[in-house]
Amino acid sequence: MTEPDNNLHRYHRQMLLPDIGEAGQQRLREAHALIVGCGALGSAIADTLTRAGVGTITIVDRDLVEVTNLQRQILFDEEDVRSAIPKAEAARRKLAAINSTITVNAHVDDFSARTCARYIDGVDVILDGLDNFETRYLLNDIAVSRGIGYIYGGAVGTTGMSMSILPHPRARSQQASPRLEWSAKQATPCLRCIFPDAPPPGTSPTCDTIGVLGPVVTTIAAYQSAAAIKLLTGNLDRIDRRMLSIDFWSNQLRQFELAPAPLEDCPCCARAMFEHLHGDAASRAVSLCGRDAVQITPATANGSMDLNAVAGRLHAHGNFTVTPFLLRGQFATETGENGAALELTLFSDGRAIIKGTTEPDFARTIYARYVGT
Amino acid sequence: MTIRCTILLFAHLTDAIGQPELSIDLPDTTTLSDAVDTLVQQHDAIAELRNTLAFAVNESYATTDTVLHDGDTIALIPPVSGG
Repeated sequence: MTEPDNNLHRYHRQMLLPDIGEAGQQRLREAHALIVGCGALGSAIADTLTRAGVGTITIVDRDLVEVTNLQRQILFDEEDVRSAIPKAEAARRKLAAINSTITVNAHVDDFSARTCARYIDGVDVILDGLDNFETRYLLNDIAVSRGIGYIYGGAVGTTGMSMSILPHPRARSQQASPRLEWSAKQATPCLRCIFPDAPPPGTSPTCDTIGVLGPVVTTIAAYQSAAAIKLLTGNLDRIDRRMLSIDFWSNQLRQFELAPAPLEDCPCCARAMFEHLHGDAASRAVSLCGRDAVQITPATANGSMDLNAVAGRLHAHGNFTVTPFLLRGQFATETGENGAALELTLFSDGRAIIKGTTEPDFARTIYARYVGT
Repeated sequence: MTIRCTILLFAHLTDAIGQPELSIDLPDTTTLSDAVDTLVQQHDAIAELRNTLAFAVNESYATTDTVLHDGDTIALIPPVSGG
């Protein structure tokens, strides 16, 4: 038996799809997808794009695999938990076993305005596997300023949401030279056309505070992966220009028509103000010298955080009390480098001190999980 | 003359309010912005999230100057964060 092309034969069933074919498969092989965040969404997306034959996949994630991830994060197993391996590295190993013909770059890092330049050169599409809004607005800034497609996805509780963003060329930096391009007419609204401002810290529930249903995440990840495959194979007109919203507990699936074009006054894709990329809107995490603690100062600080509501969501995770000025308590399950339980002190302007660690990235993870950004 | 609109709540707004749908009566020639002002006065959870919500009228994204009509369905959509 002869096989026409060993490298492509494995994709035979995908190439049978008339809009993909061998030409589309070649395009996938030449493409580079960046997956930021490799939790539930990111690992499902990485699995799908690896099997689909996207030639280069870069994964950036700052966390380690934990036992509570296994319920929904499909690339990880019990051995990963025992060895406390970083998610990005665990993903790389699994993906290499699934498809050895592609390149997977894994980076254990906090994707931020400070670090993002290391990862975005040559990227054709950005896939959102994040658990916080601060970094999503950064991804939106990067996508718009570089003219790269950005596939937003989010899932929490029993609900999920996804939207594909093909940024308008008007806000693209002069230096940007994306490999894939589209016309102004094909451009979509960006994340900030729809949601102008990131939700203030402490107002959005997280998977760690209200839980998450596995099938919601895999559905949203599938939707994101399909959008990426359409974009990378040149099938731009097949990309859903609506916003998907699902709730698998109340059996709702809705697609909202978005504005046909980006908003005329969008601060990001019309006025090219990249506040999240240039640091004005970035939160700060600073190790407090000699105190075994990190202070988190959120970007969108205001005096109105409802500390009682945050305490209500933290109830299952430790013993927390609220005074007129602050929320304070100790986590039952989160420990720092020296094995002691982490302590959280949270002020109503969103500022927090996380005691028991000196690692800013770890403290940001804890803040994103339990306070929510 | 008043008009009656259905309000659809999404994601954690449903949990915060305790039901997925509301119905409100509004004066004729009301804009989406007026309707949201009314909801903000009635529900603290909507007040807290107002600046982060996206809105749709009859399943199409809508800006706050959209004029409402009797029988319109308004969706209040908070961004979904986790993943």
